[in-house]
Amino acid sequence: MDRVVITVENVTQRFRVLQERPDTVRELFARFLRHEVKVRKFQALTDVSFTVRQGEMVGLMGRNGAGKSTMLKLIVGVYSVTEGRITVNGSMSPLIELGAGFHPELTGRENILIGGLLMGYSKKEMLRRQDSIIEFAGLGHFIDAPVKQYSSGMYMRLAFSVATEVNPDILILDEVLAVGDIAFQAKCLERLQRFREAGKTILFVTHSPELITDYCDRAILLHKGQVAFDGDPVKAVDLYRASAVPQPPSVFRREPVRIP
Amino acid sequence: MIELVRDTYANRELIWALALKELKIRYKRSVLGFLWALLNPLLLMLVLTVVFSTIMRFSIPHYAIFLLSVLIPWTFFSQSLSYAAESIVSNADLIRKVRVAKLVFPVAAVVSNMINFLLSVIPFALIVLITRHPFYWTWLYLPIPLVTLTIFTLGATFFFAAANVYYRDVAHILQILLQLLFYMTPIIFALDVFPQKHRWVFELNPLLYLLEGFRLSVYYGRVPPMHSIVVSIVAAFAALAAGFSIFRKYQNKFVLYI
Repeated sequence: MDRVVITVENVTQRFRVLQERPDTVRELFARFLRHEVKVRKFQALTDVSFTVRQGEMVGLMGRNGAGKSTMLKLIVGVYSVTEGRITVNGSMSPLIELGAGFHPELTGRENILIGGLLMGYSKKEMLRRQDSIIEFAGLGHFIDAPVKQYSSGMYMRLAFSVATEVNPDILILDEVLAVGDIAFQAKCLERLQRFREAGKTILFVTHSPELITDYCDRAILLHKGQVAFDGDPVKAVDLYRASAVPQPPSVFRREPVRIP
Repeated sequence: MIELVRDTYANRELIWALALKELKIRYKRSVLGFLWALLNPLLLMLVLTVVFSTIMRFSIPHYAIFLLSVLIPWTFFSQSLSYAAESIVSNADLIRKVRVAKLVFPVAAVVSNMINFLLSVIPFALIVLITRHPFYWTWLYLPIPLVTLTIFTLGATFFFAAANVYYRDVAHILQILLQLLFYMTPIIFALDVFPQKHRWVFELNPLLYLLEGFRLSVYYGRVPPMHSIVVSIVAAFAALAAGFSIFRKYQNKFVLYI
């Protein structure tokens, strides 16, 4: 159980802020004539390192814009890393947001299939798991109605059951348990618990202190793109609550770039 | 290239599901649904026959067949491009949240238009039957232009899908380009209406060779000359190699621009 499954080494992630980029040819010409383009770079993560061991349940916390979702997107491979290295051992659901692949015009059943295929599972496998997914989501006859008619709770329930039913070694979740009623939340937590008992690894983003203290083995607190704390969940929550986090230097910087 | 084949094969079920999804959405909420894929060419033929046999008065016998034999594959080409050019941008939500081989989106767009194309062969065959145009044995040759046109289309598709991520102007430019190309390719007319010394303008267009196999085998009952076949195959693979290498080079950055 001591095997390291996720290693994040000195990861720094920079983005160009999109609005600063010419989106049309006209703008490009205008800038070309002015001989200057201002590119604003945004450093979302600065020298982040941590590891996750097999069987651990790790919560990722931090204020809005701290880099939590960026971190998850890097781990699953939506973004490629600017600097540093990330290694993952084991199968992982490649989506960070539940229901990302759902199309509103398609029925729940059709979306289960597409969702599963997007995660890299075969059609055969998805058809086999279909019934238990539908049962867990508890949608009844709504499963054959277009997803656009679902309530947001129903939508999340379906998404959660698709993501967890497929049984990856590592489960990556971005702010999941925010939606859904108490009964469904309990069901989700029970399922996460079973995941853990099966020796699987869970890394998730949450804003709920209770979830961190009651369920996580460890919590990582991100602040302005840096790891501010990594360790005991109760301590992490205290720090998060108090926002008694050392303020790192500003990560925004503006640098004019010349186009020759 | 190996990567293209490998990733397409690995994601074949996903591509198929996405292609079907696109068709489902296209025909969703229409009373006739999938029947439109069959009805479209029939109705189109009706319009064209009226226009060209009574108003324009082209002196080409069986003009409907002359025209449709190329117009149907052309429609496949132009529709695939129009859909595929938007395929990365319109799946932005997905690409931002799921790690998935990007090539599935343009490929699925081509596949869904391919299904449409193949469906329209049924009404077309019906028209051939009704107009008592002979069914030549050269229909058997059709798989070759079909495959080469598909490969060429895929190549073009990869290029436009990638380019449109960086400059949304591309989708607009593409529409104009397709219009221009439509008249630069012998579709509504035969190349021999032009004097020999002007034909070279058309002969520079690879689509001439990619499409003429369809008309020759269905309308004239002939197989294209060897040089035409070779040119179409070379053009198809060159387009695919160029288009895919551009797509591949930029695909990891798409997520930052959508």
